[in-house]
Amino acid sequence: MNAGSKNNEFMKTTGPSTTCAQFQDQLPELFESGADLKEQEHLKTCEQCSALVSDLEYIAQQAKLLLPIHDPSPAVWENIQTSLSSGKQDSGSRPVK
Amino acid sequence: MMTGQAGKRIKMTKSVTNGVFSPPAKGTATAAPERLKSNQHLRRNPPIAGEAEAIAAAQTGDAAAFERLYSLHKRRVYSLCLRMLGNVAEAEDLTQEAFLQLYRKIGTFRGDSAFSTWLHRLAVNVVLMHLRKKGLPQVSLEETLEPSQEDGPRKDIGARDLMLSGSIDRVTLERAVSDLPPGYRLVFVLHDVEGYEHNEIADMLECSIGNSKSQLHKARMKLRDLLRTGQTSARREALL
Repeated sequence: MNAGSKNNEFMKTTGPSTTCAQFQDQLPELFESGADLKEQEHLKTCEQCSALVSDLEYIAQQAKLLLPIHDPSPAVWENIQTSLSSGKQDSGSRPVK
Repeated sequence: MMTGQAGKRIKMTKSVTNGVFSPPAKGTATAAPERLKSNQHLRRNPPIAGEAEAIAAAQTGDAAAFERLYSLHKRRVYSLCLRMLGNVAEAEDLTQEAFLQLYRKIGTFRGDSAFSTWLHRLAVNVVLMHLRKKGLPQVSLEETLEPSQEDGPRKDIGARDLMLSGSIDRVTLERAVSDLPPGYRLVFVLHDVEGYEHNEIADMLECSIGNSKSQLHKARMKLRDLLRTGQTSARREALL
């Protein structure tokens, strides 16, 4: 199924008579379908679900802020080197910090 | 010491495949809403100069090449461990373990996936094994991915207050993520932070693609609950 037909399918199932519960049940698929959620009929008349969709999109967007920023301490590499040089590479035999 | 939900029981099992949707084909991510997808290709597998050569050399036992791979990937592996464990000492210990496993297994890397994806899968397994050891082994990952009713998100039906837009800073979001149940947290970090696709996450966690999608949605819903109600805890200060 291509994205267009999938979008059409969702459009059919989220019409004006769709309840909030029904709409929210379909949200995971809607997000992943690539559909433009603003075009969903239910959102045109439901402030609550519109706010929900905006929040979820905002959270996903803000996740960019959580890119890795910390490095492990130098002791980690030192311990790895120690383990490798001693030939002990199993978890139970690595150096105790 | 493992605290709260992170100490739940974990066993890696394959999930029942309910409501599975086909994974997006490679290269089709741009069809999804840009707000959700635009950052993925920039963050997960950016070209790394010299990585391929370092991998090939490390596979022959070149210690300097292995150190190069460590330098290239230590931050992301450590960050994953730190987010999942919330404890610097444990996170460093598991980072060490992940790279020791890498040393042992790098000869089996065939380039079927990006090296960073392959290494991340290895690191995820190290984390999951650690969590399983800290909990009781009889409960499946599926159950870990499906928190108890009180831990899960609520449906948003009925009057609520203002939207979140513009109100989240990094520290606040980091705290909220640390308060997610571990299964939600792992899928959220892998997808929304690290940029992995659901089919890759399903492969890493040995769950269904539908399950990965479902858990991601629930994670976002739970985060919304936490952020709107201000119920995030101040634990995991090491992350901040």
